[in-house]
Amino acid sequence: MKSAHLLAISLICLAPALLAGGDDNSVLIRNVVIHPVTSPDIPNGSVLVIDGKIAEVGMKVSARGGARVVDGHGLHLYPGLINAATNVGLAEIGALRDTVDLDEIGPFNPELRAEIAFNPSSEHIAVTRASGITSVITLPGSGARGGRGGPAPVITGQGALMHLDGWTWEQMAVKPGAVMDMLFPQIGGGSSRYAAVSGGQAPSFEEQEKQYREQLKRIGEFFEEARRYERAKNAGLADFQRDVRLEAMLPVIDGKQPLFMRAERERMIKDSVEFAEKEKVKIIIADPHEIGRTGPLLKEHNIPVVLGKTFELPMHDDDPYDAPYTLPNEFYKAGVEICFGTFDVEFARNVPFEAAQAVAFGLPHDIALKALTINSAEVLGAGDRIGSIEKGKSADLILTDGDPMQARTTIKQMFIAGREVSLESRHTREYEKWLARP
Amino acid sequence: MRRLAAFSLIAVATALAASSQSILIRNATVLTVTKGSIQNGSVLIENGKIAAIGKNVSAPADATVVDATGRYLMPGIIDCHSHTAIEGGINEGSVSDSSMVNIKDVINPYDINIYRALAGGLTVSNVLHGSANAIGGQTVVIKLRWGKTAQEMLFDGAKPGIKFALGENPKRQGYPQESFFTQGQVVERRYPGTRMGVEEVIRESFTEAKNYQAEWKDYENRVERGEHPIPPRKDLRLDPLVEVLEGKRYVHAHCYRADEILMLLRVANEMGFKIRTLQHVLEGYKVAKEIAAHGAGASTFSDWWSYKIEAYDATPYNAAIMARKGVVVSLNSDSDELQRHLNLEAAKVMRYGGLSETEALAMVTINPAKQLGIDETVGSIEVGKSADLVLFDKHPLDNFSKVEKVWIDGHQYFDREKDLETRPAFEQKKKALEEKLKPAAQRPARGQGGSNPTAEAIQ
Amino acid sequence: MRYGSINAAVLTIAATCAVAMQAEVPSAIAIKDAHVVTVSGADLPRGTVLLRDGLIEEVGVNIAVPADAWVIDGSGLTVYPGFIDALSTWGIPSGAPQASANRPTGGAPTTPAPAAQTQPEPRAHGPEDRPQTYSFERAADLVNPSESRIEAARAAGFTTSATFPNRGIFEGLGAMIDLAGTRGRDMVVVQPVGQQIVFRLGPSGFGRTFPTSLMGNIAYVRQLFLDLNQYRQAKQIYDAHPGGNRRPEYDHDLEGLAESPRILLPADEAQQIDRMLSFGQELKVPFVVYGMHEAYRRIDELKQAGVPVLVSLKWPEKPKNADPAEQQDYRQLEMQTQAPAVPGMLAKAGVKFAFYSDGVDNAADLKKAVKKAIDAGISRADAIKALTLNAAEIYGAGDRLGSIEKGKIANLVMTKGEAFEDKTTVEYVFIDGKEFEPSKDLQKEPANRGEPKQPAISGDRGAN
Repeated sequence: MKSAHLLAISLICLAPALLAGGDDNSVLIRNVVIHPVTSPDIPNGSVLVIDGKIAEVGMKVSARGGARVVDGHGLHLYPGLINAATNVGLAEIGALRDTVDLDEIGPFNPELRAEIAFNPSSEHIAVTRASGITSVITLPGSGARGGRGGPAPVITGQGALMHLDGWTWEQMAVKPGAVMDMLFPQIGGGSSRYAAVSGGQAPSFEEQEKQYREQLKRIGEFFEEARRYERAKNAGLADFQRDVRLEAMLPVIDGKQPLFMRAERERMIKDSVEFAEKEKVKIIIADPHEIGRTGPLLKEHNIPVVLGKTFELPMHDDDPYDAPYTLPNEFYKAGVEICFGTFDVEFARNVPFEAAQAVAFGLPHDIALKALTINSAEVLGAGDRIGSIEKGKSADLILTDGDPMQARTTIKQMFIAGREVSLESRHTREYEKWLARP
Repeated sequence: MRRLAAFSLIAVATALAASSQSILIRNATVLTVTKGSIQNGSVLIENGKIAAIGKNVSAPADATVVDATGRYLMPGIIDCHSHTAIEGGINEGSVSDSSMVNIKDVINPYDINIYRALAGGLTVSNVLHGSANAIGGQTVVIKLRWGKTAQEMLFDGAKPGIKFALGENPKRQGYPQESFFTQGQVVERRYPGTRMGVEEVIRESFTEAKNYQAEWKDYENRVERGEHPIPPRKDLRLDPLVEVLEGKRYVHAHCYRADEILMLLRVANEMGFKIRTLQHVLEGYKVAKEIAAHGAGASTFSDWWSYKIEAYDATPYNAAIMARKGVVVSLNSDSDELQRHLNLEAAKVMRYGGLSETEALAMVTINPAKQLGIDETVGSIEVGKSADLVLFDKHPLDNFSKVEKVWIDGHQYFDREKDLETRPAFEQKKKALEEKLKPAAQRPARGQGGSNPTAEAIQ
Repeated sequence: MRYGSINAAVLTIAATCAVAMQAEVPSAIAIKDAHVVTVSGADLPRGTVLLRDGLIEEVGVNIAVPADAWVIDGSGLTVYPGFIDALSTWGIPSGAPQASANRPTGGAPTTPAPAAQTQPEPRAHGPEDRPQTYSFERAADLVNPSESRIEAARAAGFTTSATFPNRGIFEGLGAMIDLAGTRGRDMVVVQPVGQQIVFRLGPSGFGRTFPTSLMGNIAYVRQLFLDLNQYRQAKQIYDAHPGGNRRPEYDHDLEGLAESPRILLPADEAQQIDRMLSFGQELKVPFVVYGMHEAYRRIDELKQAGVPVLVSLKWPEKPKNADPAEQQDYRQLEMQTQAPAVPGMLAKAGVKFAFYSDGVDNAADLKKAVKKAIDAGISRADAIKALTLNAAEIYGAGDRLGSIEKGKIANLVMTKGEAFEDKTTVEYVFIDGKEFEPSKDLQKEPANRGEPKQPAISGDRGAN
């Protein structure tokens, strides 16, 4: 048993070295059903990967450049899946605050960058990969609105698009600063979805509304401050002084970096769009729990949505039992571009099932697959690099024995930037070890 | 459907109860779980029981026929760990041993989560006290007979249980931290604060229970001898523990780590009682052999892990390992949300450990039935069992499937079509109520006596 | 000789009292030519009620008015028996505002633990510590005629209340009291009339003291009744066989419980009604259920159980401070529309019920609350009966209170206009034959009531 244990450990240590290191990122995967996502399926085709990039896709592709050959007979090849909202890498064990790097103190933290605290040794990385996920957005905020005694958080920092493989966070970062994570304020403060029914004296609605408007005003002032900072900077004023926080806001106010706007309720979505119009910034609506009448508004302004979990309870007793299941399709039907996220750590791997449940309740299958791949890539500003099997893109590929949205499907092999990545994890290691216990 | 339809369903259900209406579900893929699958099979329901199963089943002329062509029929899903439908707190967290409280006293049949779970194919729930104390409250098994009273939801004949809890949850109040529960107050520490203390609470309570048992025996003996002793005090806390010792009550023990699992099995052996199920049991895979030897069932999560330190060694392969080592394994929800799709949780054990479809389905049907001692009547599609059935549009382990109909005891309690159909009427009825509640100024003038909702209320 | 002197002293005191009484109350009052709603018998469109020495001496149409009687011209006025609040804290100074006014929506009729407990009690280890048992406390010992809400209650026509102490789960022994008197003891009509049980929940079932959950509360009550049975049995056996048995310990809590002729169990929602009907039956004690806002779903069951019912006059409403954009659930909406119909349905089904104020402490609100039930279908006569004779009968005081009958206690209310109509005013209230002219100010809407903002209860109203 001891030797088995040791062997397992040595395998773990060796695995990344063997697979991720070196120049072994050229491969020909042939004889597979290819699901490029952005173009029709190829029933029996091949994909050639050279130096981590997809060099060729088609019915007949021959090996070159010393690429090794993987025969995928009877298997399917999909682009690696993308979870468009997680905290992977920033939190390890939920209940142990020391292992959690989320929700920095203070309401405005645009200068914080998720990627720099991304722990490449987090066990969650390999666990998440096991479901065929090759990239995630990692956000610096958990979405908690409390503020834990201090002012309620507004801008929690910049979320990064990360590859789930690499020796260092630098290597793993596909797109640092992909989004600016922001919690759109809410009337009443705390999370509306889990609004506590407290016996205490709640302030009147008018009072709550007043506080809400004050908070919006403070946010507006912060954006205005950033704009004045930019003008001062551009004007080259003699007494201009750099400011880390405001500097970080420039891509946002210039419309280059989207605000990842967490807006759960209809009114928040509506007010978010209004806010974006007023501030002339780009936004993504994140984790909406209802669509209400916001569909046409989002379509009109071409605002995409990163959906949270489909496996949720309806918000109200009277809501249809399947309201969360049909929500993704409601957005899709309204003409809104959708992506899927889980907004957590340990269940980041279940994002394909969240999409599948939407399919069960009406979302077209091809849209769900796009939402898990190319849509996320596009919305997060990496549509030219990942999210589909196309020539020139990073070779983020999964070889499966079926639809990755099915739990019954096994992910057989995974490639990230052309490197074959181990599908082992803490979970499989425990399995191997303890199954063998005499 | 929800409220409105629920009430109309009561009427339907009552009508069915009165008659011995037969139902024939025709031409489905019947997943019996215990006896293989039947393509294009039929199931006949009579008097709430499964009367016949097969390719060719003849039904009485007046039987209601459900055409299930292309559909999948499986036994009602059973959740061995639920906190749904509990009113007024799932924990009596003030004491280390709260065995005097009983979930049966506080079932709320109006909890909408019952209906939502039903819509996911769940028909039976083991409703448990929370995990705040080493020995928690008494537990009860219910059938999700939505629209019925709490009394009518009880699973007739199911043995009652009691909740135990080991590890972090019961010891947490031994070192209280600022939390949601403390709401800014300084909270006094409650024993125990360690796993050793948790063991001691269980050992102490059962020692007391044995003394109590002896005290009563002594009293009864003295009465028999014609003496006039004063009866001992009847103790609601110790009574259920005596029942555990006498095998009249099941122990469902929340646990995580291998050491504490082993500890409990040993204490139980020493005290002379059985652990019926280990709940969560995330490190059960490390002591599967010992669990199997004790004869305890394991009721675990499909893939939960890492939310606390005692869940860090969890692996989704847990179910597969324990099953392979001879433990009866079920997958539970512990959640109003997760209980809505336990079939999909079962699908995960095919990925994590390569179990077969039947093994996967068994973990949410016959296995939890065995764990709860109700497998004589539920948990599989077999002649003579209760007609607790779920009709899916696709295979229930297919992530694109959904539930279309659910029967319990042959009564249909969920119908997706009807649910969809009644939504507009429900909305209208709700609007009408809102209208009624508007201030008088916004309403049509009051006639003499005003509106009289009595008649409507009686309907 | 010793005895004689004592007798003389008693006589002297009695004489002094009599003199004092005479100075305050005329020996007889005749209410002439009023519309008399006797409740127990037929209405008298033009009747006379004669009061003497705190009792109703005569009621009828052709009654000779004695020469010594003060005469009140009742023409244009209606006389009712004094209204009774069937479950109250009126009269107990620390009882205001009644804590159950803060009942959480959708929950059991529970009350938070008494606020501002300065000294935290030690953590209870279980029911045996009985941390919330005050079964021995007596409302009769706690009531005070100068309690601040009494005047407002009288202004609404209430002369009597079944008042209970309000702390703990076993709240103590209630008393039927008259809402006037010189000293607390003058107020007590019947005591004890019962033991109110209140379920008190901590946050999420966590807390320092057992019990904190609903199931814990139920177990707590169940255990105490088991203890009571054992106590009785033990005493009985000991009395018969003192030799060889240890003497049962005197138990203050259980003595209080044993003395209680009935218990009051809280049940507002349908499942709570089911639960409490079966719980009351399990405990094998006479019981009354109170709350009843969703009783429209359980009329048949209540009728079948044959249990008296107390209906809260604090009708459910949309929570204050709610976001107007947020929908309410169907069940809540239904309760808000249907609860006021419950009294009418109970009356129709023949269930014996009475009303209780439940923290509605000002006259205008009390009037409106009853009116709401009348608008929702109960006849005025049945509403009056619920407020008078039913309440008295539920507490076994129907032989002395609750109707205008010869020999009963002279508790009356006289209104201009039919009771509970918007324009109706309460002109006179008689308690133990003593006349009160209720303040008209107290009958008006509280002036500071900006529509939705003001909480429904105005505890300080009576202090003015």
